[in-house]
Amino acid sequence: MIDLLHEIAQTLSHNKLRTVLTGMAVAWGIFMLIVLLGASRGVYNGFTSRADLETSSSLSVWGGYTTKPYSGYREGRPVQLKDSDKAVIKNSGKQYVRNVVATRVLDSARVSTERDYISNGLYGHFPQEQKRAKLDMIYGRFLNDRDLEERRKVMVLESKNARLLFGDESKAVGGRVDAFGLSWLVVGVYFHEWESGTYIPFTTAMVVTGNDGNVSELFVNIKNVHTEADGTAAEQSVRKALAGSHEFAVEDNGAVHIWNRFNSYLRNIQANDILSTAVWIIGLLTMLSGIVGVSNIMFVSVRERTHEIGIRRAIGAKPRSILLQIVAESVAITTIFGYVGVVFGTAVTVVMSKLTENVDFLENPTVDLSTALNVTVVLVVAGALAGLFPAIKATWVRPVEALRYE
Amino acid sequence: MMIELKDINKTYPGVVPLHVLKGINLDIERGELVSIMGASGSGKSTLLNIIGILDTYDTGSYVLDGTMIRDLSENRAAELRNRLIGFVFQSFNLINYKNALENVALPLFYQGVSRRKRNALAMEQLDRMGLADRAHHLPSEMSGGQKQRVAIARALITNPSIILADEPTGALDSQTSKEVMTVFRELNAAGMTIVIVTHDPGVGAQTNRIIRISDGVIISGGND
Repeated sequence: MIDLLHEIAQTLSHNKLRTVLTGMAVAWGIFMLIVLLGASRGVYNGFTSRADLETSSSLSVWGGYTTKPYSGYREGRPVQLKDSDKAVIKNSGKQYVRNVVATRVLDSARVSTERDYISNGLYGHFPQEQKRAKLDMIYGRFLNDRDLEERRKVMVLESKNARLLFGDESKAVGGRVDAFGLSWLVVGVYFHEWESGTYIPFTTAMVVTGNDGNVSELFVNIKNVHTEADGTAAEQSVRKALAGSHEFAVEDNGAVHIWNRFNSYLRNIQANDILSTAVWIIGLLTMLSGIVGVSNIMFVSVRERTHEIGIRRAIGAKPRSILLQIVAESVAITTIFGYVGVVFGTAVTVVMSKLTENVDFLENPTVDLSTALNVTVVLVVAGALAGLFPAIKATWVRPVEALRYE
Repeated sequence: MMIELKDINKTYPGVVPLHVLKGINLDIERGELVSIMGASGSGKSTLLNIIGILDTYDTGSYVLDGTMIRDLSENRAAELRNRLIGFVFQSFNLINYKNALENVALPLFYQGVSRRKRNALAMEQLDRMGLADRAHHLPSEMSGGQKQRVAIARALITNPSIILADEPTGALDSQTSKEVMTVFRELNAAGMTIVIVTHDPGVGAQTNRIIRISDGVIISGGND
């Protein structure tokens, strides 16, 4: 084995320029493969950091307008979701429904302090929202169950709004703001890249709007779902329950709008799989040109070394050892230069990762160990294939070539 | 008997088939130093190829050191060449990117001998040829005579039954030719069977028997 490596090192270093030029093509192919894999990995990581199975196992439901006449009603009737729908959904589909929460959005509500005011709406929400929307609490706390039970007049502000109202977001917690003619206590300040709503307890929101029972959106957390069919079944059971309570046709998709987060999640996972497969294919095809180059150069090398191979055969080399040597040389070129590509590619993905730190859809666009191992296997196999045909040709060299003189 | 050729015939196929060896009968005893002489196209190269198991023959029989050479697989032929025959070529045929020691050790590489052992044996052979100080020189850094002595060392390293030399002095000046022939004579004196193919009468004269071949038949020096 060491002897074989020694032989390879000798022949490759004998033809340095050619070896390097050939290797460059392979290095480039692998470089592209690694960079592409890193980028696709980044997209995947970006997706999974935003959505995981737990927070994705939910349905969002909004009221719409009926598009079909039903039981004496004409089409075009608005469907207003009610707080009471929570119980309706929960009771109708015990198989799929874990729990139901509702939110109430108060548009154009004005929140003010002595300094300034904001009017970008209030969200009547539940404590779980912090986790679902990935709100980063920088001061104080988010809403809790006691806030909802006691219908407390508490508020959670977004950091820029807190700065606007209090001059400095660190001073907001404990401060008081006015809204709906009432005084509210600020309990927390969050940071989020694009979310800027102000959160109040759902129950309080219901009270300040006069207990009309209307809700803006229902969140149905679902369970026992594994496939897209399960997700669709869960969605159907919710639609059916609401069709009963609001009297519209079950097949009327305009009456309530349901965002099936679970199915979207599955589809995203699928899309990511397709992306990663596509990247492998593109990368491998790029590498193929490098491999063809290696194969080509090995043919040239075999041709050039016909006399040498003849000498080796004359002094006792078996066809098998000639074959092994040529294949091993090819594997050595592809592996060594392939790793040059891996190193440079990885370096670039690291740089890419630093540059895209604030880009939301890319996260940590680097390759992991298992990818590196896969690439190694690809390199060895590709090198062996590239060398195989030239090597077979080399075994056809007859020992009598040793006696042919130029 | 070292070499026993009986009624060897060889025809190269083609539009006009070329009958190059026409019933060669030749015996060479153990310890002989013989030369095969003939003009180009006489068939002496083909005979050399057959004796060296580099080529096959059509009819007849060839026994080398008690081994029947007939219908061998490529692997078996390679093995026999490695063990039984030491080749010395006109243009030395050293591998140009390997130093003298590595060139001499190469046949043992194909026998699977360990690096340490084959380098020690190669050094021994180089020393015998008076080239110990050149062991780590590349062929391009040596004179013709030195290169041919390296080639002889390589031929000797497997301790073969015969040395088969093809125009061993063809690329050398007369002084180095003499030196190389002296080496062959010394080896022969030590018991080695040597067959030299040449068209140089001076070389032929230094062997113990001259086999002349012309137009595919032996015209003198063959079996009586």
